[in-house]
Amino acid sequence: MKSILWSVCALFALGLAACSGENPNQSGAPAASASKPSIKIWWFQWDPATGLQELGREFESETGIAVEVQQIPLASYQEKVFLEFGGSRTSFDIVIGDSQWIGRGASSGLYVELTDWLPTVVDLATIHPRAAKYLCEYPEGSGRWYAAPCETDAVGLAYRKDWFEDPAERSAFQARFGRELTVPATYEEFRQVAEFFQRPDAKRYGCAMPSDRNYDGLTMGVQNLLWAFGGKWKDEASNKVVGHLDTQGTVDAIEFFKTLMKLGPNGCERLDYGQVLESFTNGSTAMILNYFAFFPGIQAQFGDKVGFAVVPSHEGRRVASLGGQGLSVSAKIPPEQQEHAKRFIAWFLQRRVQERWITKPAGFTANSAILASPEFRAKTPYNAPFADSVDAMRDFWNVPAFNKLLAVTQRYVGMAVDGEMPTAEALKKLALEKERILKEEGLL
Amino acid sequence: MNSRAHTGRGLAWALVGPTLALLIAFNIFPLVYNVVSSFTNAELIGGAWRSVGGANYARVFEDELFAGALRRTALFVVCAVAVELTLGFALALTLQRDFKGKQVVLTTLLVPMMLSPAVMGLYWNLVLNGNYGVVNQGLSALGFDPPQWLTDRDYKFWSILLIDVWMWTPFMMLIALAGLNSIPASIYEAAQIDRASRWKVFTRITLPMSAPVLGLAVLFRATDALKQFDLVMAVTGPNDAATQTLSTLLYQVVFRDGSVGLGAAFSCVILVLVIALATVFTRYIDRVQSRDVSA
Amino acid sequence: MKFVRWFVLLVYLALAAAPLAWMALSSLKRRDDTIAPHAKFLPTASPVDDPASPWFEATLAAYRDLGAVHAGAQESFLGHLASSVVIGLLSTVASVALGTCCAYGFSRFRVPGAKDWLFFVLSTRFLPPLAVVVPVLIMYRALDLQGTHLGLIVLYTVFNLSLAVWLMKGFLDEIPRAFEEAALVDGYSRGQAFLRVVLPEARTGMAVTAVFCLISAWNEYGFAMTLNSSGAVTVPAYFAGLQGNIEGMPWPQIAAGALVFVAPITLFTVLVRKSLLRGMTFGTIKQ
Repeated sequence: MKSILWSVCALFALGLAACSGENPNQSGAPAASASKPSIKIWWFQWDPATGLQELGREFESETGIAVEVQQIPLASYQEKVFLEFGGSRTSFDIVIGDSQWIGRGASSGLYVELTDWLPTVVDLATIHPRAAKYLCEYPEGSGRWYAAPCETDAVGLAYRKDWFEDPAERSAFQARFGRELTVPATYEEFRQVAEFFQRPDAKRYGCAMPSDRNYDGLTMGVQNLLWAFGGKWKDEASNKVVGHLDTQGTVDAIEFFKTLMKLGPNGCERLDYGQVLESFTNGSTAMILNYFAFFPGIQAQFGDKVGFAVVPSHEGRRVASLGGQGLSVSAKIPPEQQEHAKRFIAWFLQRRVQERWITKPAGFTANSAILASPEFRAKTPYNAPFADSVDAMRDFWNVPAFNKLLAVTQRYVGMAVDGEMPTAEALKKLALEKERILKEEGLL
Repeated sequence: MNSRAHTGRGLAWALVGPTLALLIAFNIFPLVYNVVSSFTNAELIGGAWRSVGGANYARVFEDELFAGALRRTALFVVCAVAVELTLGFALALTLQRDFKGKQVVLTTLLVPMMLSPAVMGLYWNLVLNGNYGVVNQGLSALGFDPPQWLTDRDYKFWSILLIDVWMWTPFMMLIALAGLNSIPASIYEAAQIDRASRWKVFTRITLPMSAPVLGLAVLFRATDALKQFDLVMAVTGPNDAATQTLSTLLYQVVFRDGSVGLGAAFSCVILVLVIALATVFTRYIDRVQSRDVSA
Repeated sequence: MKFVRWFVLLVYLALAAAPLAWMALSSLKRRDDTIAPHAKFLPTASPVDDPASPWFEATLAAYRDLGAVHAGAQESFLGHLASSVVIGLLSTVASVALGTCCAYGFSRFRVPGAKDWLFFVLSTRFLPPLAVVVPVLIMYRALDLQGTHLGLIVLYTVFNLSLAVWLMKGFLDEIPRAFEEAALVDGYSRGQAFLRVVLPEARTGMAVTAVFCLISAWNEYGFAMTLNSSGAVTVPAYFAGLQGNIEGMPWPQIAAGALVFVAPITLFTVLVRKSLLRGMTFGTIKQ
């Protein structure tokens, strides 16, 4: 008994010694910084981040500054980043933040303002105006920049080309709907095609799109229909919500979304981006709406069997939900690190590097010249629809309280979609909640 | 005698001191922090605090969120404990006698209890998935129209309960088994001599004698079920109206919305409830443990 | 009656073990097989063509992948496992040690305000960890303990202490004072009496306490996720981070990792199972 006791104590002491010797803050400790300059970039976990790491190695070979891209799981990305910002120094030098975060980053002094510096290193005219507006500028129209475009993304449509081209399917569709089976250009056509392919007994489903309640899936999914159907989140000029959110257009959009939820795989009213992808890659669903960043992976898997297009329109209005993130420099790092970070951003935005960026898996650029170029459009099946989508993309709120607005939107729209509350009533309540939040923040 | 008492006193504090000091350090500062920040508009990303008076507390009591989370948590605790107790006790009754392979059976039954809820919640997403989940595939193969366990708002809560029951019934079983094993065989023999019926033996001997242990098991499990967080996070996330419990509400408010002040107000109210429950608990333990001491 | 008993047991065993068996099968599949619309539950060595077939090609790729460091990550799963082992073991040892001493103090000595102290100790168990995360985070930032092994070890020790004290007090109360009195008469000091006479008797209790403290620390998620998100990451925090993975969840790796993760605990429990069963009455019933 005694020997056991002593060995346990010895083990404990050893363990304790080992632990206290460890370097606690990998984040703050500039331990061996004197030996080699380096910057740490945080992005969430997906292919483009791996691509960025590869570019980072090229940067290192050119300048000697090492680049480490850390991939944080998406579900907790927002929390982790803002948790870091709550401390005195952040783990990362550059954060590739979601477009919605920019208001908070700017007004709370978390992002370094790039307005004066950026024009000196890149011609702002080369950046696509929509990308600039949503990914980089805050407040809207002020001309103040807090991020440089990294990944520009939008929601697009991917469909099973082999099913669309199958003669038996084509004649059946013609017989049923009186028109040819084509890639849907409007939401009505989209619904018809989804109805046609919805065959649960054969484990075939019509369509899938983001509808997840956790972070922002549902809002991003509904957005694609929202503006097309004449709805909106708020009045563009002021920040007023009541009387603008709870209008017929928004109701129509959500009601249509509900009908689409009946034409998908089981549980399609709660799919996150990965699950939307899964429903397509496991071969069961005919069409999905998801971010273009996923399409290279689908292309690799399906080859000729998949086709890509822009999102459908309604009554002539076409709007794609914006994705994409910008490179922001953390304000909570020492000046020399800020210099290294800026150097990387300047390097990244060069035309020649952007041309390397688009060769990386799912690397999408905001450089207007490249987007418009015929070579880009012809390069892959998804590039052309992507370039077209950039002209049509729009974003959610990016004010500092966006996360509260997002959480409350997810909640009420979720209740409407689930049928827990009549849509009109849910929207009214949502509008009131949003105005309350905005008033609290002093934005209304 | 005096010197003995003194060394006794010194030794006593040496023994309990470190533990109490640690518990105080980790509970008093958080308490003070929560009380102070609950009257401000503290945010997660920092920034100056501004007093908001009782606004946060008003939100706590007015907003349906808190009442709903409280209701759901209470329902969860009651159902989970009731089912786990019944099933666990029934299983323990079957395992009372020795039989070949008992150790293997026991160990297999114990495994779910040792799994991490966070990991298992994630894994059950695969099992209960509406499309490729094996449960639904089995049910449809048998001809049923299976429900959407994880997405249908009527089922989500019960799915989480199901997972919890799967994980913790073994715990209740283990305790019940220990309790049953400690009933002296002599009592059963005496009952047999008296030719008491099986039912009488069960209700007059088995149940009453294992009641104290079962009571403690119930309280033990209830305190853990109250803190239910991992499973809800893994299955539905913290912002889901159908499954939001007290802990996930706190997470949503503090980490997703970033409202530390409001979260602190929630925490203080929860603390009051906790103290009430702890009072009940300690009275029960005292009663049970002093019963033996006095005997 | 015997039939009913066997029936209940077998049905429950089947229901309880089925998810585990499915997990073991999933760990041997390729990712596409885990999300296939037609369930696959029969492993075979050669590739299978028909997508609707219940056969699948078994592979150990998921297990091998556990040792790989994924793009953008700091460590492999095994690295996180090592963190969990260190944190779990050390915090268990600490809480059992401290808890036993504290319980002994309350059990054998008259500590002023004992009833109130014990109430305080017990009430700390009821509090949801989420209620104290933010102040603890601030404390840890100030002490530079965020993202370290030591930080979580101390935290888990503290939060398991109430359980340890409560359990051990029950067990220690059971041990008759006559043993120590005899030892003291024989000339042992109080300390020696404690170590040589009381502790061996309390072995069962300590085993039970150790098992529960270890399970609690091993599987803990709330604190691990919020405090140690970028350093000394434990396995539950790592796994939960896979949720909502944009590329789709790596189900075979999750299954493999979950099985590997539960193995040490199962081993530990099996080793102490006799003590476990004997000690599970929490000192309410005299042995």
